[in-house]
Amino acid sequence: MRTRLFALLIMVSILLSGCAQPTTQVPAEPVKETVVVTVEVPGEVQVTTVVEEVLVTPTPGPNPEAVIEGVEQNAEITFWTFWLSPTFDDYIKSTIARFQEAYPGVTVNWEDHQATFQDDLRNAFAAGNAPDVINLSISEGWVSDYATQGLLLPLDDVVPQSAIDMYFPNLWDQQLVDGTHYQFPWYQGIQVNLVNRQIYDQTGLTIEDFPKTVDGLPALCKTIKEVTGTLCDIRLTVNDLLAQMTYEGGVQVINADGTAFTFDSPEAVAWLQLYVNMVKDGTVDKTVLVTDQDRVGLDLFTTGQAAFYNTGPNLIREVRANNPGLYGYLAVVPAPVGKSGVVGKGLMAISVKADTAFPNASIALSQFFTNPRSMLEFSKIVAIYPSTPASYDDPFFSAAPVAIEDSAKPYAKDAVSKLADIVPTVPHKADVNEIVLQAIQQALFNNVDPQQALSDAVASANALLP
Amino acid sequence: MQQTQTRSVYNAAVFRQVIEKILLYVVLCLVAVVTIFPFVWVFFTSLKGPNDPIVSVPPQLIPQDPTLANYVRVWNQLPVWRFYLNSVIVTLSVVVLNTLFTALAAYPLAKMKFRGRDTIFYLLLATYIVPPVLTSIPSFVLAVNVFRYYDKLPAVIFPYLAGVLNIFLLRQAFKSVPDDLLDAGRMDGASELRIWWNILMPIIRPTLATVAIITFVEQWNNFFWPSLMLHTRENMTLQVGLVALQGAFANDARGIAAGVVMTVIPIIIFFSALQQQFVRGLTGAVKG
Amino acid sequence: MTKKLSLTPYFFLIPALLVIAVFVLYPIVAVVYYSFTDYNISTPPEWVGLKNYQQLMKDPIFWQALSHSLIYLIVTPTLIFLSILLAIVVNRKLPGIHAFRALFFIPAISGSIAVGIAWRLMLDTNGIINGTLLSLGILKEPIQWLAEPAYTLPIAMMLTTWLGVGYYMMVFLAGLQNIPEELYDAALIDGCNVWQKHRHVSIPGLRPQITFVAVISSLAALQVFNEIFTLTGGLGGILNSGVTIVFYLWRQAFRLNHAGFASAIAMVLLVITLAFSIMNIRILERGTEAD
Repeated sequence: MRTRLFALLIMVSILLSGCAQPTTQVPAEPVKETVVVTVEVPGEVQVTTVVEEVLVTPTPGPNPEAVIEGVEQNAEITFWTFWLSPTFDDYIKSTIARFQEAYPGVTVNWEDHQATFQDDLRNAFAAGNAPDVINLSISEGWVSDYATQGLLLPLDDVVPQSAIDMYFPNLWDQQLVDGTHYQFPWYQGIQVNLVNRQIYDQTGLTIEDFPKTVDGLPALCKTIKEVTGTLCDIRLTVNDLLAQMTYEGGVQVINADGTAFTFDSPEAVAWLQLYVNMVKDGTVDKTVLVTDQDRVGLDLFTTGQAAFYNTGPNLIREVRANNPGLYGYLAVVPAPVGKSGVVGKGLMAISVKADTAFPNASIALSQFFTNPRSMLEFSKIVAIYPSTPASYDDPFFSAAPVAIEDSAKPYAKDAVSKLADIVPTVPHKADVNEIVLQAIQQALFNNVDPQQALSDAVASANALLP
Repeated sequence: MQQTQTRSVYNAAVFRQVIEKILLYVVLCLVAVVTIFPFVWVFFTSLKGPNDPIVSVPPQLIPQDPTLANYVRVWNQLPVWRFYLNSVIVTLSVVVLNTLFTALAAYPLAKMKFRGRDTIFYLLLATYIVPPVLTSIPSFVLAVNVFRYYDKLPAVIFPYLAGVLNIFLLRQAFKSVPDDLLDAGRMDGASELRIWWNILMPIIRPTLATVAIITFVEQWNNFFWPSLMLHTRENMTLQVGLVALQGAFANDARGIAAGVVMTVIPIIIFFSALQQQFVRGLTGAVKG
Repeated sequence: MTKKLSLTPYFFLIPALLVIAVFVLYPIVAVVYYSFTDYNISTPPEWVGLKNYQQLMKDPIFWQALSHSLIYLIVTPTLIFLSILLAIVVNRKLPGIHAFRALFFIPAISGSIAVGIAWRLMLDTNGIINGTLLSLGILKEPIQWLAEPAYTLPIAMMLTTWLGVGYYMMVFLAGLQNIPEELYDAALIDGCNVWQKHRHVSIPGLRPQITFVAVISSLAALQVFNEIFTLTGGLGGILNSGVTIVFYLWRQAFRLNHAGFASAIAMVLLVITLAFSIMNIRILERGTEAD
C-alpha cells in the first residue's frame, strides 16, 4: 500500500513538473554589445574604467504572435474543424503546438467533423458542450445562422484593433448580425471551374471558350450532352438557396427593412428559369442538382464522369489523390460570374461560442490560426488563400505558377480582396429555405410555372415573419 | 407385353420427376442470383483498381486490375474496427441484460398472483403498439439534458434493456411449465429467485435462445436511434458508421463498396456458422 | 398457490418496468404534451394548444407522407405471397437445399443500411443497372432512377420486399414443417393436385404464421425509414416522392427542429398503428373462428 502511494506521488510530481514548462520564447540571437564597467581599484586614488566587449544574449521579448492579452491560465478549450482531417492533421497539430508556445498553459482539444458537422454542432449546443472555437463555413451561411440564435460570441469590443487590421476589411465585415462581428476570416477559396479535358475537348471548344457568366452554362451543357452524352454536374446549394439566388441571379431576396420577402421578382424568376430549362433539356444530373451533400458533385467529377465542376483549387488535391489518371487532363478556368457581379463570398471562418468559459483563450486561438503566418503556411501545402494581406507579401505568392493548383496565385490577392457577402440576414432561415426548396422542386420537376412557385413560396415565407 | 408397358410408364414417371427436379433447381438458382447479385457486384467493385471502369457498356463485373487499395483508403479514413467494437459492445450488453430483465419480469406475470398483475400486463401489451420513432423525441431530450449521455454508448444501450415482445414470449414459455415443479421447489424451501434461476430458466432455454436471437438481430441492425445519438466517429456503431462512410465517399463507388463489404462479411460468416440456431430461434418465436 | 402479501413479484418486475417506464411510458406522455407546444429542443417548450394539429391538417406534405405510408402497405401481402411460395419450393429434401435456404436469408441478416447503400450504388445514373440495360439495348439513354419521383417509392418497396422475403420464408418454412403429413396424404387420396393441396392444407395450416407476418410486416411498412434514408439521403426523394410518415417526422424533429410539430405527427402515427394492429388481429381471428 505504501509503495503504491509512493509511486503515485512520483507519478504526480513528474506530471506536475511536466506542466511547469518554462516559457519558450522566440529564440533570440546573441549580440555583441559594448559594456562599460567601472572598477574601483583599492589603494589607489585612480578609478579605472574598463571597456569590454561582451556577448550578451538579450532577454527574449514577447512572442510576436501572442497578440491577445489576458489569456486565462490553464485554459482548456475545444476546437472543431470542418473536413480537414486526415489530410491536414500535421498542419493543424503543428499550428496548435506553435500556439501553445505563444500562449503556454492553454490546452487545445482538436476534433474534426465531416458530413455530420452541422448535426453534431447543433446537438452539442443543445447538450451544453459545444466547442469553444468553431470552424464555420461562411459560404454555407453558418456564421449568421448561429449568430442569429445568439450562440456565438460578439467580437466587436473584445478583439484588439491591431488584430482586426490584419484582415481584408470586406472579409472581416462578413455575415454581420445587427452590425456586430462574429467571425475571424480564415482560409479563402477562389471559385474556379475544374475542367476534364478528356470530355470537354470532344466538343471542339477551347478552354478560352468556357463561359464567363452563369448564363452561358446551359448552352455549354447542351453541347456537352449532344456530343459526349455526359450530363452536367451542377449543384444547387440546397441548404442556402437564397444565397445562390443572390449571387447568381442578382436577386434581392428580402426588402430593405426585413418586413417582406421579395424572391419572386423577375430576376428570381429568370434565375429559376435557367435551371428549369436545363432540367427540361435533360442536360443535368437531377440527383446531383438537389443533393444535400456537396461531395456528391465533387466525387462525380473526380471519377471522371463530368465535364466540369465548380469548386476551389484546394480540392484539386482530392482529385489528384483519388484519380491520378484524371489529374493530367485537368484545366482550370475562373468560375463564371453571376448577375450580381460578385463571384463569391468568403469560404471559411473561425468563431467563438457565446458561453465559453475561456473567452480570451478562445479568441487567442481563433486569431492565431487566422494570423498571416499560420495562413501562409497553410497556403503552402494546399491551394487556399489567406484572409490577411500581409501573407501575400511572401515570395511564395509572387513566384510564377508551376502546377495547375497554383494557377490562381498571381491574381489571388486581388480576387480575395473583392470577396463579399452580399446576402442579407434572413430571419427563420432554415424554414424559409425549406419553403424555397419545395417551391423550386415544383418548378424544376413538376411543371409548375416558376413565377407561380416563387410567389406561393414568398406568401408562405411572409407568414413566418412577425 | 404388360411388363414393357409398366416399364415405359415407370420410365415416363422417372423422366417427369427428373424434369421437375431440374426446373426446381433452375428456379432456386434464379432466386439465388436475384438475392445474391447485389452482394457479388459490391464485392467485385470493392476490388476494382482506378483503371477498372465502374461504369461501362457492356458492364464489366470482374476487375482486370484488382487491388486492395480501396480497403486501405476506407480503413485509414474511418475507424471501421471501432464501429465493429461498438456494435459488439452494444449488442452483447443489450442481449444479456435485456434477456435477464425480461425473464425476471415474465416470471411473476406468468406464475404469481399479486395485486395489479393483470393491469401491469395489459399496460405492457398496450405499449407494444407504440412506434419507436414516437418515443425518440422525448428520449432525445432525456439523453441530452437529463442523463447526459449524448454521443456515448450507454445512450443506445439503456433504452433497449427491456422489451414488451420479449416479456410476452417469455411469459408464454413460463406458463407452459407445470406448476408441480414450482411447488416442489417451494416445499424444499427454495426462494423464488432460486426457483427462477435453477428450475425455470433451464427449462425454457429454447425460448431464451429465441429472445436472445431476436434481440441480437434487432440491435445489430438498429439505425434510427443510434444515428440520432452517436456523432463522433469513434462512438458510432456499424450501421451509423456505414452511413458516415457513404457521406465521406459520396460517389466513390469503390470506397463505398469496400466499406460495405467490410461491414457485411463478418456478420454473414457469423450467421453461417450459427445457421441452425438462428433459424430455430426465429421460427420459435412464431409458435410462441 | 398462496396469496401472500409479499413484495417478491415486484422485485422481479422492477428492472424491466423501470426501463419501460422511463423509455416508453414517460415518452408517450411527453409526446402528448409536446404536441401542444412549440418546441425546438434548445429552448423550453411554449404552449400553443391545437396549432400544430391545425397546421398538420393543412399541410400538403403531411398528407403526401400519409398516403405514401399507406401505399407502402402493399409490401405486406406481396411479402406473404412470395415468402410462402419460396417456402413451399424449398420445403423438400433436395441435395444442397440447406445452402439455398441460407443464401436466401443473407439479405435479412446484412441489415437494411448496407443493402440500401448497395442498391443506391447500383441505381446510380452511371451504375450497373443502367449499364446492363444499355448494353442489352433495352435502354437508349440512362434513366436517373432515383431522380424520377414516380420511381422512388416503388424502388424502396422493392428493396423492403427483397430484404424480407428470406426472413419470412424461414418463418413459413418452419410452419410448413409443422403441418402433419397425414393432412397431405388425405388430400392426395382425395385427388387434389398441387395447387389444391396447398390451398386446402398448407395455407390454413400456416394461419398462425400468416398472422404473425401480417402484423409485423404491416407495422414495419407503416414505419419504414431506413430504406428511404439510404436511397434518397436527407431529401426524401424529389418532390417528396419518398417521404413517409416516419421520414417526415424525422425531418421535422431533427432537421428543422420543430419538435412540437413532429410530436403531433407522432400522435397521428400512434393512432394509425393502433387501428392497424386491432384490424389485423380482428380479421385474422375471424378467419380462425371460421375454421
